[in-house]
Amino acid sequence: MKKFKQNAPAIPILAWIGLLVGVPLIFVVVLSFLSRDNLGNIVFQFTLENYKRIFDPIYLKVFLNSFLLAALTAIITLLIGYPVAYFTANLESKKRSLAIGLIMLPFWISSLLRTYGWIILLGNTGLINNILLRMNIVKSPLSMMYKFSTILIGTAYMLIPFMIIAIYNSVDKLDKSLLEASSDLGASKWKTFFNITLPLTIPGIAGGFTLVFIPSLGLFFISDLLGGGKTIFLGNLINTQVTKGRNKPLAAAFSVGMIILVLVVLFIYSRVTKDNKEGLF
Amino acid sequence: MNSRTKKFRTVYLSLFFVILYIPVLSVILYSFNKSPSTAQWAGFTLDWYKELFNDRVITEAFKISIQVAFLTSILSAILGTATAITSMYVTKKMEKTINGVMILPLLVPEVALGVSLLLFFNALRLPFGHLTLVLSHSLFCVPYVYIMVQLRLKEINISIIEAAKDLGAAKWQIIRTIIIPLVMPSIITASLLALAISLDDVVISTYMSGPTSTTLPVHIFSMMRVGVTPKINALCTLILVGTFFIVGLSQLVSRKSRKEEEFK
Repeated sequence: MKKFKQNAPAIPILAWIGLLVGVPLIFVVVLSFLSRDNLGNIVFQFTLENYKRIFDPIYLKVFLNSFLLAALTAIITLLIGYPVAYFTANLESKKRSLAIGLIMLPFWISSLLRTYGWIILLGNTGLINNILLRMNIVKSPLSMMYKFSTILIGTAYMLIPFMIIAIYNSVDKLDKSLLEASSDLGASKWKTFFNITLPLTIPGIAGGFTLVFIPSLGLFFISDLLGGGKTIFLGNLINTQVTKGRNKPLAAAFSVGMIILVLVVLFIYSRVTKDNKEGLF
Repeated sequence: MNSRTKKFRTVYLSLFFVILYIPVLSVILYSFNKSPSTAQWAGFTLDWYKELFNDRVITEAFKISIQVAFLTSILSAILGTATAITSMYVTKKMEKTINGVMILPLLVPEVALGVSLLLFFNALRLPFGHLTLVLSHSLFCVPYVYIMVQLRLKEINISIIEAAKDLGAAKWQIIRTIIIPLVMPSIITASLLALAISLDDVVISTYMSGPTSTTLPVHIFSMMRVGVTPKINALCTLILVGTFFIVGLSQLVSRKSRKEEEFK
């Protein structure tokens, strides 16, 4: 009873988040099992139809596209971001704060602006084409927009700071004496890296992977602006099904699918970092 | 590290930062271009900025964004601070629960969160507009305030609070006269952060905007879908300047408070 009294002040805030996150999510789960009539109105009749449709080849492809985009984004940001994090952690303190500042600054720049920047660069009349044409490297403008790779560039660009910061934190925590011991014992630089640095920074890599994978599933404005709606992703599909009001139960089922995908990623993350006390969450 | 690796490090990092900022800088650059197309540079102009201020839709959307951001930041500051202070007094287990619940809005993908809120508010028949925007924005701003204020709370010297208790101060008195003044700089920094996050949100706002209450990012998104015009560049540049101003202000507040502390 004493404990209850002590914890009572926490009830309103838990209720508040529960009401705005928990209840709507339960609502979506319920809705995903309901049907709709021809006008798009929701009918209170239990069905598994919405989930069956996920396995429709067309919709399955949407899931695959999204998974592929998220996974490739995570891999690319890891490959480019790891050296950035590693080198930054080894800079002397003044330069290091500057580098971290430059890595974090994009968080404060509107995500629309950062996406739009790539249209300015990659468009048919964009900056890169202007330069290539002017230098006579190409005769006619290269077509670089509205491709899967364009969306990949945009998404990786948007999320790479997360990857770098996650890895940086774990490189920074490395016990330097281990590295010294390794080189004292005659191991080459690369050997030290692969046998010591890399395994010890796996929690950071896993954290970065999680932080990049989850948001890349839902950034529908990037695929809209850079992909021109050619490749359909989960985010776009849910977005159009809801805003155009055609099939809310289906959108709900896809949202549930997306959340399950996220839970799987989080589960893997917790497994990978199980032995490590300092996790992200 | 030998000099060759050092050289490689410098080249790699410089190249990375150049690529990181080129898209942003080119947006800014072309906002001053006389020609409406990016195909050529026709000279410097401020016309696109002038056009912005004459665009009723944009100024209206801007007003709504600012109102929503202010309300969100105030609500988040109150809720986040209250929760952080509460977490000091509850059991360890409860504190862990609060920490877990607080991270929840940040873990659910924005699209799923937006859609679920849309369907939920729809069912409740809440009118879409300021109310739904502020409620949904504060949902992902409160956790930031909570985390930042909690970090500061953990730094407070417990003996101060113990002393106040021994001298007969009530819990409320301690919170009001000791704790809140001590965490004030963090509250201000965090609310400025909330302000900036709310001003920038696209995904959730897409679902929460009402027919007469489109926020600026939602409007910019629809402009961008139509095509490239330097007017968008100018608008984005102005927002960038505005955000940096807010962030700079928050940095100033936190730096000043840190200096004062050292002085004490």
